[in-house]
Amino acid sequence: MDFHERQLERQSFTQRSLLVASLLLIFIVVILFRTFSLQISNFTEFDKASLDNRTYSVPVQPLRGKILDRNGEVISENIATFDLVTTPRDVKDVDEFLEKIEKIIDLDKDEIDLYIKNFNSKAFFNRELVLKKNLSEIEIARFEVRGFEHKEAFVGKRFRRVSRYDEIFSHVLGYTGSARENNLDEQNRFRSNSWRDAVFSYANGLIEGKAGLEKTYNQSLTGTFGIKQFEVDARGRLVKELSYTPPINGENILTTLDIDAQKVAANQLGKRKGSIVVVDVETGGIVAIYSYPTFSVNKMANGISQLDYEDLINDPDKPFFDRSVAGRYPPASTIKPLVGIHALNRGQISWTTKIDDPGFFELPEDGRIFRSWGEIAHGLINLNQALIRSSNTYFFNLAYNSGINELADDFEKFGFGSTVCVDCILEDGGLVPRPQWKMNNLNFGWFKGDTVNIGVGQGYISATPIQLAHYTAALANKGTKKPLFLNNSLSGKIPSSEIELENFNQRDWRLLHKAMESVVESDYGTARRIRDQKDFLIAAKTGTGEIISLDSREEYERIREDQGLRDHAIIVAFAPAEKPKYAVSVIIENGESGGSVAGPVALNTLKELLKE
Amino acid sequence: MIKKIYLDPYIFIGISLLAMVGVLILFSASEGDTTIVFKQSIYVVLGLILFLFVSQPDPDIYRRFSPLILFGTLVLVFIAYFFGPEINGARRWIRLFGFSFQPSELLKISLPLFLASFLFDKKLPINAKQTAISIFFILACFLSVYIQPDLGTGLLIAASGFLVLFLAGLSWVFIGITIAAILIFSPFIWNNLLEPFQRDRIWTLFNPESDPYGSGWNIIQSKIAIGSGGFFGKGYGEGSQTHLNFLPETQTDFIFSVLAEEFGFIGVLLLLFLYALVLLRTFYLAVNARDRFCRLVIGGFIFTFGFNVMINLAMVIGLIPVVGMPLPFFSRGGTSLLSIFLMFGIITSMSTHKKFIPK
Repeated sequence: MDFHERQLERQSFTQRSLLVASLLLIFIVVILFRTFSLQISNFTEFDKASLDNRTYSVPVQPLRGKILDRNGEVISENIATFDLVTTPRDVKDVDEFLEKIEKIIDLDKDEIDLYIKNFNSKAFFNRELVLKKNLSEIEIARFEVRGFEHKEAFVGKRFRRVSRYDEIFSHVLGYTGSARENNLDEQNRFRSNSWRDAVFSYANGLIEGKAGLEKTYNQSLTGTFGIKQFEVDARGRLVKELSYTPPINGENILTTLDIDAQKVAANQLGKRKGSIVVVDVETGGIVAIYSYPTFSVNKMANGISQLDYEDLINDPDKPFFDRSVAGRYPPASTIKPLVGIHALNRGQISWTTKIDDPGFFELPEDGRIFRSWGEIAHGLINLNQALIRSSNTYFFNLAYNSGINELADDFEKFGFGSTVCVDCILEDGGLVPRPQWKMNNLNFGWFKGDTVNIGVGQGYISATPIQLAHYTAALANKGTKKPLFLNNSLSGKIPSSEIELENFNQRDWRLLHKAMESVVESDYGTARRIRDQKDFLIAAKTGTGEIISLDSREEYERIREDQGLRDHAIIVAFAPAEKPKYAVSVIIENGESGGSVAGPVALNTLKELLKE
Repeated sequence: MIKKIYLDPYIFIGISLLAMVGVLILFSASEGDTTIVFKQSIYVVLGLILFLFVSQPDPDIYRRFSPLILFGTLVLVFIAYFFGPEINGARRWIRLFGFSFQPSELLKISLPLFLASFLFDKKLPINAKQTAISIFFILACFLSVYIQPDLGTGLLIAASGFLVLFLAGLSWVFIGITIAAILIFSPFIWNNLLEPFQRDRIWTLFNPESDPYGSGWNIIQSKIAIGSGGFFGKGYGEGSQTHLNFLPETQTDFIFSVLAEEFGFIGVLLLLFLYALVLLRTFYLAVNARDRFCRLVIGGFIFTFGFNVMINLAMVIGLIPVVGMPLPFFSRGGTSLLSIFLMFGIITSMSTHKKFIPK
């Protein structure tokens, strides 16, 4: 190479080097820019991602609040037991595992069946699963000795949700059951997979109210989950505990219920299908509410065998059905005081207006006969007498001379046709029929006879026991209507309202109360059977709800053979009559006589409540 | 009798600092594993001795022995391939007296040396025959490493060869044709020459969220580590991404993320400053080298080194696919460290010895 060539070569090298160097420079600039963007511009985002990476928050289950009666006595609580807890995710073969455990601790068939049944679902969520509850001291000792062999099982202190009154509060109380984590309001506070590592207080893991008060007030009963925050490595292994926020246990709920009254009510109703509802007239609080047949809440909450459960579900008497709030019954003669109020308020009659009761009512339009109970002729009677003796003819007349829409308006003022309890669950509104309803639902026009039937609480009208209690309380309060409730903290917070009755004055109310007192006190009263069993005055009205419409006494005697077709016995009452404190409604299905069958149930419950 | 020590102070200080910082970061990245750090420190000391040793002879020695050096290196590479132990599915190591040695790292030195000695007296531009011979050697070296398999190192070796060829005066016509051919055949390469996992890596780069726990994991966690370092970093030994094992390969490919997490943007700037210092100094030395051979060698070395650094950084910050390329001076590994010192030793030798110009 000559000098010139060398010069050229050197020049070429320098140029090409500069080219490569500038490529590298571009590289450096891009890298700097990118690093700046990661570390400075998007720092917050990556800082959070790094925090999320290294921390893992696990929920710690709070204890549910207790449910108390109005005196603070415990109805439902949490009871600690020592249970054999297993972690399904560590169990490789269920059968093999159970076989091993059975050598140390006896397991009965139900326990094994329940375990196997729940195993798969729990194993999926990696939750704890209790194999045997309530271990004895001997069992605990025996397990602890061999515990090292069973890393997938341990003895843990776990709570159970237990009601002290297994069956008498079932419908109103409700029960708890397994919750899926996505049902919880808490879900946003935790990553979904953190529930599998939750620290449980209950043998059943995550629980929630499934019915009754447990469901209505689930949120405040549940409390707030605590948080255990761990530092974790990339494999999810816990490195150390960073912080612990203890759970806030659920709030206790003081109810309006009275355990003693409920016990008496349940005892009085006995094994007869029906309902009893007692209301505190001054507040609207529900003091007792019982529906039979019933079921065991403790079994429902803590494990019921498949067979028992199917029996309950398939029982034709429907034990899960809460007759008190959802049973539709004809109010029958218990509606008569309201029909009387209606007629007086309209000026249709006065307290002295007499109507002849030949034992039946003949519809002028077509001569159709509406018979009285027992077809007894009461002769010329006024409203007072008609209420005491429960004359059908008198009220057929009143209804006939009014109109269905006018009647329905006043029925609705007293709470019929809509729900009356603010915190009951699955409450039915019953039915106050109107011509439009009949047309829409039965595709038939309204007949005058339909109106006449409604005058005695039969026909299309239906009401629930709780509506009857609410209505009776409104009668006792002389027209002040108070929504019913179960949670004592609502006391005084729900506004009551005066029922608008322009022409129905205080004197009318006094006379009405007097007439209802006489239902019990008078020699002719339909509830006279309970007259001598008490030391306070009761105002009442009986009723006999017909299941099928019949034309004569003889026909009823025939169908009576079938117990399910017998009339329902109904009574509504309030006491003490002078200054009412409690209103009660009792319905006994197929009990036939409001006065002599339902009457004593109402009386004895009131007695318990009014005893000194 | 040593009359003179040949030493370039800028390079000496630059690489010493880089090596020291490297050990410091490795200490954190290895969870304070003293065995690893001690071993690495030994390599640093050995490396500095080697560096000083190879700086002393006249560069003509390297030119004369370059074919022998390349041949020797290739023999070692094949010994590793045929007789070495298989680690993680790759055969690239030679075990000797308890030390593992990776001969393919040395190809980054012997290939540029050989090509420079082959091309230094050729006319401009390099003719077709010389180009073909050069490419034959480049491909041979590349394939010998690629079959181990070690794509990352193989590509870097090929790059070192092509850089020498380019700097020596490869014809622009040839370059143009090659680029056009690559563009045309790239779909074919994508479909037939790349392994599925390599395709995965490229795909993941553009869409890491598509598989956050699989092939996207490394890039995502690395970005979180770097990003969460912020301006000042989390502090030495305090990087949660590093120490809770979210970050993969902290001692090797992803060691830059450890530095970025614990020392923040400040640390990154300092690191880039040190690299830039060394790169700029050697660039100056290359341009002013005493002859064409030295120019080509220094140029080939330093640009390979530069690309190695930049590719590693671009990889861990999610700009290019993960290819398995350590960060010089930082990643754990004795052979890589020694070969870097060797390289800078040769550079020093070439830049400090005056040329005796015959009349």
